[in-house]
Amino acid sequence: MSETTTQQNEPVSRGYWSDAFRRLRRRKLAMVCFIIVLIYAAMAAFVGIVETETFKKIFKLDVPIVRWNEQVGPSYQKPMAQYDFKPEQSETKVKGWSLFGTDFLGESTLRKTLYGVKTSMLVAFCASIISIGIGVPLGALAGYYRGWVDETIVWFYTTLGTIPYILLLMAFAVALRGREFFGVEIRGAPAVYLAIGLTSWVGLCRLIRGEIIKRKESEYVLAARAMGCSDFRILFSHLLPNVFHIILINFSLRFVSFIHAEVILSFLGLGENDKPSWGAMIDAARTELARDVWWEMAAATAAIFLISLALNIFSDALRDCLDPKLRID
Amino acid sequence: MNGINGTKWILGLAAAMLAVGCAKKGDSASKDEMILCPYLPSRIQTLDPGNARDMYSMEVAAHIYEALYVYHYLKRPYEIIPLLAEDLPDISPDGLTYTIRIKKDVHFQDDACFLDGKGRELKASDFVYALKRIANVKYASQNWAPFDGKIVGLDDFREYTKGFKKQWDVDYSRPVEGLQAIDDYTLQIKLTRPWPQIVEIVLTDTSTTPIPHEAVDFYREDIIRHPVGTGPFKLKTLQPSCFVELVRNKNWRGESYPSEGEPSDKENGFLDDAGKPIPFADRIIWRVIEEDQPAWLLLMRGNIDAMDELRGIPKDNFDKAVTVERTLTQSLIERGLKLQIYNDPSIYWVGFNLKDPVLGKNLPLRKAICRAIDRNRFIDLFTNGRAMPAHGFVPPGLDSYDPDIVQSGYSKYDLAEAKQLLKQAEQIQGGAIPKLNLAMPGTDTLYRQYGQFFQRQFEQVGLELGIDYMDWPTYMERANKGQCQMFMNGIVAGCPDAIDFLEMFTTKSFAPGANKFFYSNPAYDALYDKVRVMQSSPERVEIYRTLEHMAMDDYPAVFILHRVAYTLGHDWYKNFKPQLYSHGLCKYRRVDVKQREEYPALLKKLEREGK
Repeated sequence: MSETTTQQNEPVSRGYWSDAFRRLRRRKLAMVCFIIVLIYAAMAAFVGIVETETFKKIFKLDVPIVRWNEQVGPSYQKPMAQYDFKPEQSETKVKGWSLFGTDFLGESTLRKTLYGVKTSMLVAFCASIISIGIGVPLGALAGYYRGWVDETIVWFYTTLGTIPYILLLMAFAVALRGREFFGVEIRGAPAVYLAIGLTSWVGLCRLIRGEIIKRKESEYVLAARAMGCSDFRILFSHLLPNVFHIILINFSLRFVSFIHAEVILSFLGLGENDKPSWGAMIDAARTELARDVWWEMAAATAAIFLISLALNIFSDALRDCLDPKLRID
Repeated sequence: MNGINGTKWILGLAAAMLAVGCAKKGDSASKDEMILCPYLPSRIQTLDPGNARDMYSMEVAAHIYEALYVYHYLKRPYEIIPLLAEDLPDISPDGLTYTIRIKKDVHFQDDACFLDGKGRELKASDFVYALKRIANVKYASQNWAPFDGKIVGLDDFREYTKGFKKQWDVDYSRPVEGLQAIDDYTLQIKLTRPWPQIVEIVLTDTSTTPIPHEAVDFYREDIIRHPVGTGPFKLKTLQPSCFVELVRNKNWRGESYPSEGEPSDKENGFLDDAGKPIPFADRIIWRVIEEDQPAWLLLMRGNIDAMDELRGIPKDNFDKAVTVERTLTQSLIERGLKLQIYNDPSIYWVGFNLKDPVLGKNLPLRKAICRAIDRNRFIDLFTNGRAMPAHGFVPPGLDSYDPDIVQSGYSKYDLAEAKQLLKQAEQIQGGAIPKLNLAMPGTDTLYRQYGQFFQRQFEQVGLELGIDYMDWPTYMERANKGQCQMFMNGIVAGCPDAIDFLEMFTTKSFAPGANKFFYSNPAYDALYDKVRVMQSSPERVEIYRTLEHMAMDDYPAVFILHRVAYTLGHDWYKNFKPQLYSHGLCKYRRVDVKQREEYPALLKKLEREGK
């Protein structure tokens, strides 16, 4: 009995990650936001999977919600409004309604908005991976080796950083669009995430470089060096795992800005043109406001607002929990 | 609905800022001045007539420069009358020599380019200079194409200019046999072959207007911003992206408003000013407004006079402006606006590149695509019904338009037949039809909506379509090199003759000429060569129609629509009669200044009444 009491009074030893997630779980609002982000991600994955020919063949299912290019009613029907509609190639009229109304081609705004989730999440995810894939190794190499390696990388990212981001992004989007790499034509979403990913690694690179400079003289690095570990091993097995939380925080913080970048590019006609995206929806709705067609604009902006808010709150909470300096209990 | 009101406020604020920003010159006007306030939907490129080809540059330039001939402002059918010419040209019996007498005592506007700053008298040699300048390779005029091979010795002169480094080095005194100033007031043009449309196509065009060599020598490259013409107005301020201001040219010889017109002109008030001296306006201020909504709001606020020939009512405002019966809505009638509807002789198409290995040799495929496009839906979606489905490519309003061409079924919308034709097309292709590509000459919302529309139409018959959105220069470069598999384009008639439309399908006009379809048919070429030298006659009309059918039988494009223009003008904007083939019409137009001044009070009254 006394042994058990002693065990209970002993402070529980937690690892860095389990402690961080314990703190995160205590934040109710952050968890709600996390669930919203998960729902968006699940929706994107669902749309991505069920629209593939393989899925349709295996499960013999044609899920209506991903048929965004199907005419479901007359042009510009208000949300929830009932209408009579004669589908193309049909002789008879049918009654119908659409939750978020229809666009100029009579396509469902709801389906387009849901498909836009996939476009935005896919672009933001892939752009984040590209950005991390460039920024982290370059920052690590610059910080670890210093000297001419550092100078070259710093010169390169400083030069890139002097160009206004949105102009650089547009220039990359235009330059990449329609180009062929290894026989594959870059158009649509890949052109967008490549443009965003290739232009947005500078901040992360700078951050990782600073962290590596700070940590490369740490005792555990010196110990590893004394044991004869190679530079590669020290860098990728010892140093990078210790700055992983920075990458994670950065990933979550930048994810939302990548969604916005995709929306901006699509709005400007430089993004996904063949498939629905929120930016393209807002662009189309911009002129349609004059004819009181507000629902396309409302649906796209609401979708952007929700994911932006959720990601921002969640990212802030994640940073607070992962960064030892910001931990508040 | 709050969102809508918010948007209106924002748009209204933007329009007000634009009005304040761009109208400061107009605001400082004296009360007695009559100012016309039209608008331009795009910045102007140049005010050098020899190289102006975009319609907005030509519109402004035509108020400063004058051509030899012009279309009568009121008479219909259109009638050519002399402007700088004394009378209509004397044409030799073989149709090869045109002798044109020029009005005396016509002076250029005063300008620093002249020795004493006083505009000198116009001479026949100024026309010779203007035409030789267009032929100068180093000048790189966009207006050369119509002259190619047509005037005796002009092509040789063009060859001669290739030897120079700069346009200024060319000796313009070098004689050209077919282009001579017999004396100061007589111009003679000799043609290599009869060209019955020379007056309609080039001698009424802004590109051939006389420009003094003193101005070109004085301003050099800057001539695009320093126009020196003989017209009723001269340039005061040019801010190409914001506004252009013209004031009266005091050297102008003067003219009277026409006294004759169509029978309906009297009741429409277009003859109220008959015989009065023109121009009525002291100044013209064009605002450059590229977006539809600010332009619409400025019209509603009375800051611009009309949505004229250059741009009609924006499609997203159309339902609030025009009823189903094609009359103005009550709200606009109460604001004193007036609507005019007329056929715009134009044709818009989705063209096939016949050099393309998939489309070129596959007539059933081209035919299937033509059957799969619902032209009426396109018209409803994008023009609010302001267009007619195109059954051929010669537009209504021209004498060679064939009203029976609809019977030929070129424009039939029939998905079942399209699918049937696609089976034949697949046999020719030797398998499934690969993904097709359509080039769009723009990246903005409207082009993207066009793209989505065509994708859905192709999907209906099982064809996959990719859209390449590109800016205009890229589009032109690719179309001219034959790199676009399909392309969207259109033209508007420049004169009341269908020859331009027929020329688009001749082998000689292969891109970079007008034939971007790369359509080639020896029988068509032979018949075209025969008809192009014929004077207007019923026989010529018949041959024009035969040519149209010959080209249509090969389905070189999906011809979509002919536009119907809807113009909207305030009641104070007088003599606002649409004229399709001339620019520079502001000299005929007048503003009832008092009525315009009362408009803000009318708006306040309507606002109080909640209208």
